[in-house]
Amino acid sequence: MIQVENVTKRYGSFTAVNNISFEIDEGEIVGFLGPNGAGKSTTMNMITGFIEPTEGKIIVDGYDISKKSKKAKKQIGYMPEGVPLYSDLTVKEFVTYMAELKGCERNTKKEKVQKVIEQTGLIDVQNKLTKNLSRGYKQRVSMAGALVGDPKVIILDEPTVGLDPKQVTEIRSLIKELGKNHTVILSSHILSEVSQICNRVIIINKGKIVAIDTPENLENKVIEDNSIYVTVEDPEDKMKNIKEKLDNVKEVKLVAENEDKTKKYMISGEKGIDLRKNIFEVFAKEGITIFEMKKADATLEDAFMKLINETQVENKQTKEEEKETETKDETDSENKKEEK
Amino acid sequence: MLAVLKKEFKSYFLSPIGYVVIGIFLFVFSVFFYLTTIQYGTVDLGSLYFYTALYGLIIIAPILTMRMFAEERKTGTEQLILTSPVNMVGVVFGKFFAALGVIIVTLLISFMYFFIVKYFGNPNIATVLVHMLGFVLVSSAAISIGMFASSITENQIIAGIITIAFLVMTLFMQDLNSIFANISIMNFYSDFPSGVISLREVVGLVSFTAMFIAFTIIVMQRRKLVK
Repeated sequence: MIQVENVTKRYGSFTAVNNISFEIDEGEIVGFLGPNGAGKSTTMNMITGFIEPTEGKIIVDGYDISKKSKKAKKQIGYMPEGVPLYSDLTVKEFVTYMAELKGCERNTKKEKVQKVIEQTGLIDVQNKLTKNLSRGYKQRVSMAGALVGDPKVIILDEPTVGLDPKQVTEIRSLIKELGKNHTVILSSHILSEVSQICNRVIIINKGKIVAIDTPENLENKVIEDNSIYVTVEDPEDKMKNIKEKLDNVKEVKLVAENEDKTKKYMISGEKGIDLRKNIFEVFAKEGITIFEMKKADATLEDAFMKLINETQVENKQTKEEEKETETKDETDSENKKEEK
Repeated sequence: MLAVLKKEFKSYFLSPIGYVVIGIFLFVFSVFFYLTTIQYGTVDLGSLYFYTALYGLIIIAPILTMRMFAEERKTGTEQLILTSPVNMVGVVFGKFFAALGVIIVTLLISFMYFFIVKYFGNPNIATVLVHMLGFVLVSSAAISIGMFASSITENQIIAGIITIAFLVMTLFMQDLNSIFANISIMNFYSDFPSGVISLREVVGLVSFTAMFIAFTIIVMQRRKLVK
């Protein structure tokens, strides 16, 4: 549905997006994830044809966005960041205007507008001016503008920012609903949201793609060894020597001492082995009472932080290496001078 | 184009701008109706339209045009237009004709001066229509400048000042050097007030307008490259 090939965007000497490529299939819900200023919005703006990439090409539904922009844009419904609306129009007028801009036929226009207004839950406010609406409703109006005219691709830039929890769940379920017969691209820096809604996640940092994968795979990637948290009551302090008694355990670490004299430990073992049964049996034998036992789940949050830190470390390393080689060169040349 | 035209024209009257423009225009009209037609005791309305265009447009053109593209850029609604499958040419013409529409509404109201004069004498309707045709053309030129100014900045005030500066400067610059007379739009509005449609003036005003509309289209089409 969407092909992004070697796309780069530069602003003077600053590179906002650096040689990224990916493909999005029909019916997918894809999430762009990244810290602020990572290049999420820039990438989205390039897919919608709002800005032209410096290099590379973007194909939407078979049409090149730079060359056949009209046909390509017809397939896209876009909700920009910061929900821009025409403040002197009512909700209905705004959605109608968007329908007209998208070239809806006159006889079906009214119907389509009404359908979208119902879909986004705007019936009660449809005759209010958009400037008098609350943030959550504005967001929905902007979304309605993106949905009208049934585009094949829907691009939403931070669709749940600034909404209350109830609205967030509503918008999320709406996006899921849309994913059934549209291709949806959304950006977010809320990780749990992306892992809930999306089939695939594209993590961007500093203009580069760090990872493209399903949320589950990304989580699995960061789980290196499996750890378990146990909260125990251990008056005789038997936990000190517990490591020898357990099989396949690499480390037992005290994490916290609670006020009720229980202690929380982290027990990590080899990858792919479930320690829980063994822990339960051994602890029971030793007379240690288990209050709580929990598998330490790696969340998308961990994956995200890890991947982003990795790229930063890599960058640092390459820089340091460059420095080293430079200093080496200098010393080499100095040595040569001395030889002369 | 029609969608943009309709929405923009409606927007003028949803905000106070449309009413303010018509109000100021009719005020200027009435002042010059007294200063020209009534004081000289003629049935000729030519100087009425000439002086209204001369002084009125300096205020009216920037008010009508300064928000056209600057506001859209500032509020971000520009993104909605630039990402929808519309032709930029259509958008620019839509906005241009919407602004011209407000002027035409004013001109329709200005028929009242004709009827006032008609009560006392026998003015020629054809001559008045020529005055108005010229007025429409000279307004188009002023609007196209304002529109261009609005397309190059995201600050409405700056857009307005550029427009006023252009209109005022071209009035006086011709005293410095006659070359500047060629870029003053009022120089193309001297035969119309005497009831004559001259080819020189029609071509001059239309090409002036076309040039600035073309500039605006180019600026807007290049937006995606320079952002």
